[in-house]
Amino acid sequence: MSEPTAGAPRRPSIVETVAASDSFLRLAGREFLIVLYTALRSLKLYPIENAQVQKALDDLAASTRQVLEAEHELEVRVQGEFIFVNSIRLRLDLDNYASFSHILGIFRQSGIGAVRIEPAVDRKELQVFVSLLLTYAAREATPNKVFELGQKLTDGGVRHISLEPPLESDEDYEEVERQKDAAKRTYARGVAVTKEVINSLRMGRTASVKKVKRAVQAIVDQVLNNEASLVGLTTLRDYDEYTFTHSVNVCIFSVALGKKLGLSKLQLYDLGMAALFHDVGKSRVPLEVLNKEGGLTEEEWRIMQAHPWLGVLTLFGLRGYGEIPYRGMISAYEHHMKTDLTGYPKTVRGRTLSIYSKVVAVADGFDAATSRRAYQTVPIQPDQVLREMWENPRRGYDPVVVKAFINLIGIYPVGTCVVLDSYELALVHAANPDVAHVHRPVVRVVATPDGVVMHPGTLVDLAHRNPDGAYPRSIIKVTDPAKYGITVSDYFV
Amino acid sequence: MLPASQVEELWNLLGKGLRATQLYLPNNPVYQRAVDNIREVFRRIWQATDDLVFTVGEGELRWEDQVVYQHSQKSENVAWTLFKDGIRSLTFKPGVEDEEVVRFLGILQKARTLQADAADDLLTLLWEQDFHFVAYTFRELISDNAVPIEPGETAGAPASSAGGGPRVVEREVPQGAGTAEGGSGAAEAAPAAGLVSTDDFDTTLYFLEDKEVEYLQQEVDREYSQDLRRNVLTMLFDLLELQTYSTVRAELLSILENFIPYLLAAGDFRSVAYILRETRVVLQRARELIPEHRTALETLPTRLSQPEALAQLLQSLDEATVHPTEEELGELFQELRAEALPTLMAWLPKLANERVRGLVMAAAERLAQINAPEVLKALASDDHAAQLEMVRLAGRLKLPGAPDGMGPLLDHGDREVKLAVVEALTAIGSPSALRLLERAIEDAERDVRIAAVKYVASRGHRNAFDRISAAVLGGKLRDTDLTEKIAFFEAYGTMAGAAGIAPLEKILEPKGGLLGKRGDPESRACAAMALGKIGRPESRAVLERARDDKEALVRNAVSRALRESGA
Repeated sequence: MSEPTAGAPRRPSIVETVAASDSFLRLAGREFLIVLYTALRSLKLYPIENAQVQKALDDLAASTRQVLEAEHELEVRVQGEFIFVNSIRLRLDLDNYASFSHILGIFRQSGIGAVRIEPAVDRKELQVFVSLLLTYAAREATPNKVFELGQKLTDGGVRHISLEPPLESDEDYEEVERQKDAAKRTYARGVAVTKEVINSLRMGRTASVKKVKRAVQAIVDQVLNNEASLVGLTTLRDYDEYTFTHSVNVCIFSVALGKKLGLSKLQLYDLGMAALFHDVGKSRVPLEVLNKEGGLTEEEWRIMQAHPWLGVLTLFGLRGYGEIPYRGMISAYEHHMKTDLTGYPKTVRGRTLSIYSKVVAVADGFDAATSRRAYQTVPIQPDQVLREMWENPRRGYDPVVVKAFINLIGIYPVGTCVVLDSYELALVHAANPDVAHVHRPVVRVVATPDGVVMHPGTLVDLAHRNPDGAYPRSIIKVTDPAKYGITVSDYFV
Repeated sequence: MLPASQVEELWNLLGKGLRATQLYLPNNPVYQRAVDNIREVFRRIWQATDDLVFTVGEGELRWEDQVVYQHSQKSENVAWTLFKDGIRSLTFKPGVEDEEVVRFLGILQKARTLQADAADDLLTLLWEQDFHFVAYTFRELISDNAVPIEPGETAGAPASSAGGGPRVVEREVPQGAGTAEGGSGAAEAAPAAGLVSTDDFDTTLYFLEDKEVEYLQQEVDREYSQDLRRNVLTMLFDLLELQTYSTVRAELLSILENFIPYLLAAGDFRSVAYILRETRVVLQRARELIPEHRTALETLPTRLSQPEALAQLLQSLDEATVHPTEEELGELFQELRAEALPTLMAWLPKLANERVRGLVMAAAERLAQINAPEVLKALASDDHAAQLEMVRLAGRLKLPGAPDGMGPLLDHGDREVKLAVVEALTAIGSPSALRLLERAIEDAERDVRIAAVKYVASRGHRNAFDRISAAVLGGKLRDTDLTEKIAFFEAYGTMAGAAGIAPLEKILEPKGGLLGKRGDPESRACAAMALGKIGRPESRAVLERARDDKEALVRNAVSRALRESGA
């Protein structure tokens, strides 16, 4: 579902917008499918120059235009026995079931899961698409049919219609959704538990480690099973809950990085616990200092800079000595130390920084710099943060850990807002798993060249090439999503 | 088709296995039989099915909609143990019987004993086991504060600052800017803020090289081989030294004080030694240390040397199944203060482990050598065993100040202590030791007298001669046994020289002709031996004359004495 918003006189509420858009799509989508069916049937019966065919193609072009003008995108997806237009499931009724079934059949026979039509599509391209669809639907099924068809479209000069294979099965689709829900639950629980612990400590009450353990174990499970869903949620930047979401984000980044480093499940748990507790010392920093907007005085900075070692004291008091969280203490203490042991707190006894502290330091530095918080009202773009970490040795991060981190989240980390050479805006959805394409992540196109924001937008793999070997889309610039009214996290929940 | 009765039998055996886990060690035959029985029934079950899935209820377990386990007592009920921590289904798969079932039972048992405020529950424990053949589903422990994550209402908001309109995004990109790879735009544009530059795309930069992967692996290995406690202690002492806030220092001191017993209980003696050492360093280097904290730091090492604390340490060492290395223990004992000496001495005879005993002895020796007052204190101990060990130690170390504390022991000690004192005094051999030995010659205990007289004679301690002479030539030895008589007579012979020949001859062969009364054979034999010790021609002449004495005892003694005097 897309929301045309540019130039709107009044910003409608999201409820109004969604209701209006859903209703429109059900009608316009059904009409589109009916004219598509008509065009397919006409072309099957008559030659292209036949007037009935021409009329059917005219109707198809008009219907397509109608949807695109309103929605700025048109995606027809088949999933099981259902057809979705821009994520809205169309209802079968007595007037349309035969047409819908026919289209479902043709898509299946051609191996198509989804067709995406871009606003610049013209009547000629639609004609080529319908002709090829008929031809391929009649051929014997092969696993590569959809790719061959895609290639034929490109060869035929069709630039604004693209195809996708179907999701493996309904179960897979449901599994993806289930994983996303699980990731959201895991994240929410992580934030809640962190909040509970920090607030308990702040009030001088005993905090339960059991819940924290469960939260970290769930994060480890989620990272091991479906890392992308959880890493995407780190784009959540809740200003009011910064301390808590930040701790959870650092935990997620650290565990994901640990996975990249080949740590075992139990080691990931150790690292996760250390990461989640890295800022626990802030529970002893007065709220008026912690939440102070603008500059801090020298004394206030001194207090803020005490939070690493206050964390050690806090963790000693977390519970009896039955189980002292040593690694948590070490990471809390060291996460603002640089590799040359400068930074803070100052140390006089020799020590070697723990690898977990180095991992937490990178995750912490990245999340903090890319977040809006009390004393940093303008967050820095993720790629700039990474570049600074990578290029500026004075920052004191372990360069190999930074490199591994870039390996994990790409040059353009998840959530980065980028301008494509098509002048569309996109949000980085996932790093390319092939490090050779570290600069070509999977993105979600979220705004047209006119700056019209779409939701949920369209996923595009920037490493995908045209048949001529060229990349249809490339990143040319990183930009601030706020300039376009884009809230990054909305695309990840 | 698997009959439900077989599954019931499995749970019956698992219940027994759980009890065996609770009651017996793994090497116990009862425990081993219980586990073997479980394995056997699992093997039979796997011939009929590929897995076993149980629905967990509050008081029972169901398999294929049939109740296969229940127990009337909640505390004993496995289903309740699983249910209360959120588990709602449990699956066993083939292979569980090999090794995982033992761990599973162990975890169930552990979970049953957890307190409500423990850091773990059944779920956290099961997770840590990372089972392959035991699976479970559970109900999440929902936190009260968990807020569901939903999209915000800003989605689809109008382009605020950029505004909408044709090619609005394009306006953000400087003319001519394009991708570094020569995508659709020209790549030659001057770099601008946010623009992608060619250098960013040197993807080789982002490959982790072999040596970097190796470095990361080494770092992880180091993480898991480091001494975590030492690391944390290092932090605490840095803080104690550098943070001048008195409240912080008070908290740190409290942490350290509480940490010591924990470390001792964990057998981490090296860390305790580190604490005691670093305490001295902090005392020297820390700025703005208030008197209260200084005192607390100064008394920290002393506390461990106090009788109660040290006794606990020694007791735990003696009872421990795994003993620390000599180096570890040595490091700690090195830090003990002088006041530890009496306690160490008291524990020495009680220690069963030879290695620990050796280490405690070494620590005691070190302390005794540098702390004379503590030695005296230990000698004055009410604890007989401690006294005895201290006396022996003093002798071994030849502690010159020790005789001062041994006098009273000669007056009031028991036979064992007195003997040890004599032995120690003998080893020390100082003038004060010899003076005490001189007194010991007249001790009420026969063995003490013998030991003392022998040593005094061997050292030629002239001051003691009068006492020995009085004993030999007077009547004091009349009722003593032969051994004591020999000791005294030989001592007399050794010390008397030529002056002793006449008195001894009088005892060996009294003048007075045929009617003259002869002494008892023992005394005469002893006199012969004493003459042998004198070893002069005149003494040998006396012995020659007695060579054919009628008394066999005397003849033997004369022969021996002549041999000894070189005749």
